[in-house]
Amino acid sequence: MKTHSPLPAVDVRRLEKTFRAGPDRIAAVRGVDLRIEAGEVVALLGPNGAGKTTTLDIVLGLTRPTAGSAEVFGQAPRVAVNAGRISAVLQSGGLLRDLSVRETVQMVASCFDRTRPVEEVIARAGLSPLATRKVSKCSGGEQQRLRFALALLPDPDLLILDEPTAGMDVGARREFWDTMHADAARGRTIVFATHYLEEADAFARRIVLMAGGCVVADGSTADIRARATGRTVSADLPDQDTAHAVETLRRVHGEGAVELSGRRVSVRSVDSDAVARALLVDLGGTDLEIVTGSLESAFLAITGAEGPEAERTSG
Amino acid sequence: MNTTFVGLELRRVFRDYVTMFFIAVLPGFFYMIFGAAQDFAGERAGSGNVTMYIMISMAAYGAVTATTGIGGMAAVERMQGWGRQLGLTPLRDATYVAMKAMVAFAVAAIPVALIYVLGVVTGAEGTAAAWALSAVLVLVGAAVFAVYGLAVGLAFRTEAAVSAASGLLVIMAFLGNIFIPLSGTLLTVAKFTPLYGYVALARYPLTEGFGVDGVQEPLWQAVANVVVWAGIFGAVATALVRRGRERQ
Repeated sequence: MKTHSPLPAVDVRRLEKTFRAGPDRIAAVRGVDLRIEAGEVVALLGPNGAGKTTTLDIVLGLTRPTAGSAEVFGQAPRVAVNAGRISAVLQSGGLLRDLSVRETVQMVASCFDRTRPVEEVIARAGLSPLATRKVSKCSGGEQQRLRFALALLPDPDLLILDEPTAGMDVGARREFWDTMHADAARGRTIVFATHYLEEADAFARRIVLMAGGCVVADGSTADIRARATGRTVSADLPDQDTAHAVETLRRVHGEGAVELSGRRVSVRSVDSDAVARALLVDLGGTDLEIVTGSLESAFLAITGAEGPEAERTSG
Repeated sequence: MNTTFVGLELRRVFRDYVTMFFIAVLPGFFYMIFGAAQDFAGERAGSGNVTMYIMISMAAYGAVTATTGIGGMAAVERMQGWGRQLGLTPLRDATYVAMKAMVAFAVAAIPVALIYVLGVVTGAEGTAAAWALSAVLVLVGAAVFAVYGLAVGLAFRTEAAVSAASGLLVIMAFLGNIFIPLSGTLLTVAKFTPLYGYVALARYPLTEGFGVDGVQEPLWQAVANVVVWAGIFGAVATALVRRGRERQ
């Protein structure tokens, strides 16, 4: 890797991209601002058509924006690509089926002035035992690790992963992320788009949520959870004043936010501290518990009705 | 020049035995059947003999089969995402095209070399200039059909379409006066088909435009045919590249 610079790894400003589809124009990206510092591991989460791939394509210099700007370490994307500072693992497709694993790496390596040694990237992607295998005979997970090997060739400071595990089974996904974990520990900036909430949760420290071509939320995984549903605070109420306590809580936090089951009341709120204080101090609650909502419900709440295809079994 | 890239591309083609059969073995076989083995093989044609005439025709057929396939597959590969993969490297589009063209010429040279060697062995006769010039014209003219393959690949984006485009070359070859000498109305129609001008031009150093019927055709007709078809294929391919770019 080259030197760490104080410049942001990604600096996207008021980015817009429209496509022509027959007589209409479709806006894939409508005004995205995004700044990612060097060394961050960021998940780009959103349903199909949210504009994730288009945004990443612009950052990679594969597509030109209709309006706005994108810079990678202070350079135009194409300049950063030529300098080997940014690379990517692209979505499925994009390999020549009649080449072997090693030949594919050699071919792509030959397009750069300088790369890491071919055998080294093959080993780091865990492909050494398959180096002579034809791409057509590799499984989806193996092909994805080959794309990862190709991305490692220029030893980029910024690695983009566009839905890297789409179509993989659970085992292959775990294996892929194990490889990535090892790599992220080396301090590379990593940005990945995904449908899988659990991947974003497990691997990223920051989540950027996109929907309808816009960034709708941006924060740590815990932030994102809290922002949508708040937290749920529950406690046992004293026997005598139960009805009165529930009524008080409903008045403050709204009818739908308060549920009672036996003596146990649960309140959903953005300000969990205030609820906790009220329960413990004013209402005599005991056995208090505060739980953060699931990322999935946060996702649904923020992006609207259409959820991520988190459990879609593709391929 | 990126020798690794070109070398690997060549290795891909040579490893594909089915394609190599259609590019090299089949045209060579056609030459032996339609040319060397015929009774009229020794008859005069232009400054040489009929064997030479058929040798050039079959070499041209093999060369266009090669360039059509390579042009077509280049388009399909790029459409299926390989172009995006290469887009993550400093490789320029122009360099890519130049390297693919180099591969196409190298592969097209195989049937030409094979059939010309067969020609030497089986008694093809012509002036030294006719041998050399016809070989050059066969190779250079075959580039037009790389663009034809490219256009088909861009339009349909499947390997099957590229195979179909190569298959269509058989019909074009019949209409192009390659397999059997045409005459009458059919010959008049044939003069407007894509392979006609190319092969007529390639045989010109031997025939100086004289057909098997003894009628001399002016050089401009063959040239005009090649220029017009090159223009058509080029315009279609350019339009399709623009369309592809807009949708990406």
